[in-house]
Amino acid sequence: MQGKIMLRRILRSKQFMMGLLLVLVLCFIAVFADQLAPHDPNEYHPDARLQAPEWFERGREGYILGTDSTGRDILSRMIIGAKSSMKVALLSTFLSLALGTVLGIIAGFRGGILDIIIMRATEVSMAVPTMTLGVVIMAIFGTSIVNLLIVMVISFWMNFARVARNEVMSIRNREFVQASRALGATSAHIMFTQILPNVTTSLIICTSNCFGSVILVESTLSYLYLGVQLPTASWGNMIAAGKDFLAIAPWTVIVPGIALMIAVMGFNFLGDGLRDVLDPKQTR
Amino acid sequence: MLRSILKRVGYMLIVVWVVSVMAFVLMRCAPGDPTATMLPDTATEEQRAALTAELGLDQPYIIQYLRYMKGLLMGDLGHSTQYNQPCATIIAQRLPATLCVSLISAVIVLFISIPVGVISGVTRGSMTDFAMMFLVVILQSMAVVWVCVLLLLVFVVKLDWLPSMGYYGLAKPQYLIMPVIAMGYRMCAQVARMGRSSMIDVLNEDYITCAYARGLSKWEVYSKYALKNSLIPVITIYGLQVAAMLAGAVIIEQIFTIPGIGTMLVSAVNNRDYPMVQSSLIVTAAMFSLVNLVVDIAITFIDPRIKEV
Repeated sequence: MQGKIMLRRILRSKQFMMGLLLVLVLCFIAVFADQLAPHDPNEYHPDARLQAPEWFERGREGYILGTDSTGRDILSRMIIGAKSSMKVALLSTFLSLALGTVLGIIAGFRGGILDIIIMRATEVSMAVPTMTLGVVIMAIFGTSIVNLLIVMVISFWMNFARVARNEVMSIRNREFVQASRALGATSAHIMFTQILPNVTTSLIICTSNCFGSVILVESTLSYLYLGVQLPTASWGNMIAAGKDFLAIAPWTVIVPGIALMIAVMGFNFLGDGLRDVLDPKQTR
Repeated sequence: MLRSILKRVGYMLIVVWVVSVMAFVLMRCAPGDPTATMLPDTATEEQRAALTAELGLDQPYIIQYLRYMKGLLMGDLGHSTQYNQPCATIIAQRLPATLCVSLISAVIVLFISIPVGVISGVTRGSMTDFAMMFLVVILQSMAVVWVCVLLLLVFVVKLDWLPSMGYYGLAKPQYLIMPVIAMGYRMCAQVARMGRSSMIDVLNEDYITCAYARGLSKWEVYSKYALKNSLIPVITIYGLQVAAMLAGAVIIEQIFTIPGIGTMLVSAVNNRDYPMVQSSLIVTAAMFSLVNLVVDIAITFIDPRIKEV
């Protein structure tokens, strides 16, 4: 019965279907990036610099979306860019989700001094803007994937912590929690096997939106060459590389930008769609 | 009321203090010798040691920290190694550009996003609503660097209407157009979205049904009952966004070469000017917290239902 209602809601939510489709396509491209890329994304072709996309007059066969200033195939770089973005997004989101959820549940369930400390910590994370932190950490300590993940987790964990805390606070005095306690369950047991399943809805929605935000932040950092390490292609560093050739080869920046937009849009649609499906009472 | 405001101020000070400690620790962990950029390559070991002693870098960390805290409390943010001037002076020089661009952007966003959100909310499900929300989704999904580059492509390369970079304050407003758009487009989308959903929430409340039952017209209900209540969550989001904008304009300032806090941070980082990096972290955190505090307090005055902040 439950499943049937869910399925009907899923099929009715255009946003969800649209988002799911885009995200699945993105995942497919990211997973099979190496097989899908028609050329070596890092191979220079000095004789084929700044070629226009194939359907243009000056286009060159075999390079569907044209080439960049060193003759690298843009389509291949775009496909590899999907892989870089998804890798960063996946790792950062799940680390933030794990950290934020655990701390949020503890804050909401325990209350008191722990709650105050954890909530101040979320405020500290919010007070340091992502880009500021990103520039400082990546430029001073070096552009490694570990540093990138540290920046992302510091910037995004508090979204999950706040959501989890508020949800937990609204259910921590319900009968099932009291019953567990009366039966002698430990706090850890109550927090993670009784309460956690009841806060997943909001966290799932938050996760989907976080993916989109992480992709955007990664692109901005990569634009400054402080994100994904060169020469690995990322949509951000493709835009940066194309910027100087804007007047003669606009496709070098338009293509990665569209890829970025579609990816982020997919996750935004999915997040909104999930909200419609899982929590139809809420309008936002 | 006063007590809750004081509590908020206290929390804000704690946040800024924690950021200052983090900044201190980060800079002490940073690789590289800060004296390297201050001295010519030909400097002798003695000169280097003398400078290290002068900057107090040979002291134990705890003494360095206490000195740094004492300076902070007295409003001394440290001495920039790159400019050889107090950091506070440089920040004071750089702040107006950031404030100018972000505040203009914030005001324009307010005048566009709230009407869009409200109209979308009251005409939920209509073509207008669909069109506006479609645009909002598109704007929200565009990367800021891409928007900047597209603006350059359209207004500079193709149309040749605007200058590509530079900043001359309000004297030459044509230089401000692209940065303001780049700074505000995403915020505009977010605030409009929030406005719409908040309007829809409010219109589902019982007192709205009640107002209709009393025979008020649609527009009377919207303007007298729904609008004010629906704006409360919108103001919160708006405040957060303005705060984030003031502090986080690194990339936009970099692309359009605006001499603000963001470009200052990037050049400080590139030149290993650690005192400068440290103080820009503290200043951005303080600005963010301050704007947030003001918004929180404003909300308590606007919405009498919120007693405890």
